[in-house]
Amino acid sequence: MGLLTILKKMKRKEREMRLLMLGLDNAGKTTIMKKFNGEDVSTISPTLGFNIKTLEHRGFKLNIWDVGGQKSLRSYWRNYFESTDGLVWVVDSADKLRLEDCRRELSALLLEERLAGATLLVFANKQDLPGALSKDAIREALALDDIKTHHWCIIGCSAMTGENLLTGVDWLLDDIAAQIFTAD
Amino acid sequence: MEAVVGAETGSQNRNGEMDVSGAVKIPERLLRREQERQEEVERRREAMESQSVTEEKVDYFSSTFGAERAAIEALLSGVWDADSSRAAQLLEEVSSRTQQLRKFLNDSMAFLTKYECRQAQAALQRLQSSLDEKRQQVLPKKKFNFKARSAAATRTKGVPLPEKAGPLESKPDAKGGADVGIQVVDGGGNSCGFSSAHAQVLTKDPEDIHQRDVLLTHLTGCTVKLLGTPATLHIKDVRDSEVLCGPVSGSVFVDRCSGCTLAFPCQQLRTHNTTDTRVYLHVTSRAIVEDCSGVSFAPFSWSYEGMDAHFEASGLDRGKNNWDKVDDFNWLAADTPSPNWSIIPEAERRTTWD
Repeated sequence: MGLLTILKKMKRKEREMRLLMLGLDNAGKTTIMKKFNGEDVSTISPTLGFNIKTLEHRGFKLNIWDVGGQKSLRSYWRNYFESTDGLVWVVDSADKLRLEDCRRELSALLLEERLAGATLLVFANKQDLPGALSKDAIREALALDDIKTHHWCIIGCSAMTGENLLTGVDWLLDDIAAQIFTAD
Repeated sequence: MEAVVGAETGSQNRNGEMDVSGAVKIPERLLRREQERQEEVERRREAMESQSVTEEKVDYFSSTFGAERAAIEALLSGVWDADSSRAAQLLEEVSSRTQQLRKFLNDSMAFLTKYECRQAQAALQRLQSSLDEKRQQVLPKKKFNFKARSAAATRTKGVPLPEKAGPLESKPDAKGGADVGIQVVDGGGNSCGFSSAHAQVLTKDPEDIHQRDVLLTHLTGCTVKLLGTPATLHIKDVRDSEVLCGPVSGSVFVDRCSGCTLAFPCQQLRTHNTTDTRVYLHVTSRAIVEDCSGVSFAPFSWSYEGMDAHFEASGLDRGKNNWDKVDDFNWLAADTPSPNWSIIPEAERRTTWD
């Protein structure tokens, strides 16, 4: 308990959080990150490897890790698990064909010990597309209601328009802050 | 050892007539030696123990891993005899146990040798692929279904799988083609397309596909023309066919295709598990290949009436084409080019389409 207290105190002092953004390829992870940071999103290519961004938001320093989602990169996801405060799972709401893949990958992640303490935010992305499933349909398809091991929340958003990105990140920050920064 | 003997004899000799100061001095030095000796012994013992612990871990790993693998395999082979609801349950269990096994391997990686790691990974890979195979055989229907499409899904049952349909006599000029096997997927929602067709010419008009998700699956020897601007285009399990499509605003997915010629403008192209396919491409961000071989690229050169207006409508930048900047996710070396894709030499590029 002593060590945990020290760690908590250190984190509180730095007000720093580490967010890991994962999901299948073409979910829109990089687009979300760039949009959130106010960058151009029209020329994004499939991520070969990963991107890191550090940004300030509401007085917190956020380290956001965006790791490529191609099948051949997924085995490397585990290298990024360590000391993750928040897991952002991004779903392409218009990609109905791979929802089952999506559910499987997510449930595998939630078994990971090193992600045990992380808060889960699910972004049902691409809500601007006419064929997108609602966030409730995604919630059902991913069986989110069965998750008992993590704090979670699903938010419908659009990385292209920026809709609801802030809402999602704010919820995530509040939840993490409540866990890390509350009085011990 | 000597020190001990020395200490014993020393104390014996002095047993009778030792003075106080001597009794304190000598044993002190000897005691220190004795202590050092014991520490050395302790150190050796610990070294040996840690050695055996590693061995035990490895033993433990290989026996546990082997036992669990055998159990999963047994479970998997039982799937055949079970009825479909039970089979689904079994498959679910198999998949979750496989997942746990994979995690167990990952956690054990630290103390395993490279060889053992590779062996275990290969075993897991085999397990996963036989699981996938079983799943395909036993439960061809996706678990997740859409209400709007359920009508189309029930229709699928009567249609023979293309693998089986392949050797059958082809009916290129069958008039009632649509009844024979082609399934025109138009199951509400936002998706439409063609599925399960053989040697047909299939066309979609602009109003049919404008800003919708177009899906082409299980086609062999077909020519598909999509004269419009879909939001996304999925081409899956298509063989020896030609697919020509107008500007796609978003992504194009190509999965498990072979022997095809494809032509389209799009924002992103993702090509998976595809072999021996030529792509005439206009892409404004990037194209990628993954688990592919023999995929070759050339600039988009097809055109149709009204394409210019469609380019406008799709929002694609006509002046920017990265058709030759392809990322291969299975080839991360930057200094040598990937052997999995190539550029079609100019002389061999196709110039006439109709």
